[in-house]
Amino acid sequence: MAKARKSRGESLLLRYLVLGGWALVCLLPILWFLSIGFRPRTEVITPRPIYWPSFSLDAWRLLISDWPIAQYLRNSVVAVAGSVVIDLALAIPAAYALARYDFKGREDIGFYILSTRMMAPAIVAVPIFFLFKTLGLLNSVWALMLIYAAINLSLVTWIIRSYMLDIPKELEDAARTDGAGDLTILREIIVPACLPGIITAAVIAAIFAINEFLFTLLIASTSKAYTMSVALANFTGGSDGIIYNAIALVSFIAFVPILILVILIQKHLSRGLTMGAVKG
Amino acid sequence: MASIHLQNLEKRYGAFVGVQNMSLEIADEEFLVLLGPSGCGKTTTMRMIAGLEVPTDGKIVIGGEEVNEVDARDRDVAMVFQGYALYPNMSIYENIRFPLRMRKIPASEHDARIRQAADMVELGAFLDRKPGALSGGQRQRAALARAVVRQPQVFLMDEPLSNLDAKLRQSMRVQIKHMQRQLKVTTVYVTHDQIEAMTLADRIVIMNKGAIQQVGTPDQIYSDPANTFVAGFIGSPPMNLIEGTAQNGRFTAPGVSAPCLDHVRGKVTLGVRPEDCQVGGDNVQGMVYGVEPTGDTTYLTVRAGEKMIEVKAARDYRSDIDQPVGITFDPAHLYFFGEDGQRIRGAA
Repeated sequence: MAKARKSRGESLLLRYLVLGGWALVCLLPILWFLSIGFRPRTEVITPRPIYWPSFSLDAWRLLISDWPIAQYLRNSVVAVAGSVVIDLALAIPAAYALARYDFKGREDIGFYILSTRMMAPAIVAVPIFFLFKTLGLLNSVWALMLIYAAINLSLVTWIIRSYMLDIPKELEDAARTDGAGDLTILREIIVPACLPGIITAAVIAAIFAINEFLFTLLIASTSKAYTMSVALANFTGGSDGIIYNAIALVSFIAFVPILILVILIQKHLSRGLTMGAVKG
Repeated sequence: MASIHLQNLEKRYGAFVGVQNMSLEIADEEFLVLLGPSGCGKTTTMRMIAGLEVPTDGKIVIGGEEVNEVDARDRDVAMVFQGYALYPNMSIYENIRFPLRMRKIPASEHDARIRQAADMVELGAFLDRKPGALSGGQRQRAALARAVVRQPQVFLMDEPLSNLDAKLRQSMRVQIKHMQRQLKVTTVYVTHDQIEAMTLADRIVIMNKGAIQQVGTPDQIYSDPANTFVAGFIGSPPMNLIEGTAQNGRFTAPGVSAPCLDHVRGKVTLGVRPEDCQVGGDNVQGMVYGVEPTGDTTYLTVRAGEKMIEVKAARDYRSDIDQPVGITFDPAHLYFFGEDGQRIRGAA
């Protein structure tokens, strides 16, 4: 009995050690970024190992004084949030139709929508550039919003659809006999019932959008429309060379909003990533 | 309150016939039960009445008005579903309120009506809870309250008790019947459980393979079955159906011999209920296969030839297996069915 308890305590300790070690491995790049971001530039690029790093706000000062970080952040937030709103507004009705209405070619249309994710972005990059040039939308946050929305729309539609398929049909039948029409059913029954899926889809879309680089670089030709992801690249070249500590700090700043978002909806997210998968 | 007429109703899915040429009159305030095995078309029939399925052919008339072209939301019917179908994001109060809101009933009336409906199913104390926090029986009562609250012309109930355990089912059955009598609302109730059908119904409609087999009061269905399907479906345990031959006023099958009328001839099936059999005598000569005491009675299974015959014996009847045993049929309660399964009338 006592032995059993002891071995159980040991296995618990082992579990904490293994999991703690794994957590450290996962967190190391982030902690490393943070440490680089608060060190002097010279120390970051020295070839000799440093055991006790010194503390410096050089990179921080560089960002505040020479760099419109607030504008980049704002661009990122506006473009990403706007794209998610557009995605949800289009994807929720589309997902409902694909999940519930019985029409010819339903599965095909669903597949076509998903297939837009299957080609390499580079293939459409040039046409997209000319399209937006013709529309006079180059170098604008609104253009980024549209691009992000377009990139993620298929994914968002599919995630939400898989949730809607899991909602029992009886619920809709009940609402219909209770006197509700299609839009009321969607608004009052379906959307609340698949809210975890909608949140999951929104967060995944936001993460993809905030990290988007290729199209942002293409569309945003000046700092007016730069987002965090493209602005970062500014530190990698030019007459000043690669400014590692500033890159680290900006990366960290770009990472924080997503971290907060994910912590807030963690419960829904883990359920969301598995739920659609269980049911074929 | 309303009567319902179904006229030559059909539902086909491609080549598959879900419901064929069904005609039925359901009287105002009647409690009608659609009974049959799964896939017999009973739920499809109900869904057509509700407006959730479009009939391929035929007419549906509710309260004198043809409703084929009327959308489900505009038919004044309330439906209770097998899986309760409570809205998971709403409290019980909001669930019961939903049909009132949808039908634009003045908000000032809502509270009183919700509480009245909830009290009727003894759910008044649970109005603030979400459906997830209720037990199966409570959820089903909440679903009933939601159906009752808007005082519809017709109740439709699709196997409402089949997700509940046996004990709860019995008490809910009584509650549903009491409520229906109290509210006097025309009710169509779908089930595959013949006990539910017998206990609840004013009339039972027995369906199989999309077609009506027999319509009648529970007594008629029980004591005067139209064919072997009805005979074998009703009763617990069901009627014994023994295939054999009849000639010269005598029915014979391996180990079985019983009197019949002269006009019963050729290959026929004899039907006899377990309670119309008695231990002793010589209508059946067979071996004891099994004895099942239930407390208030004992069921005896006798093997005669290849056939198993169920007998309701005295409550203290006991026997070892493989003992020879004789059975007597009550000659007043023998049923004969022809080769097509239809009853041969005046035969007993």
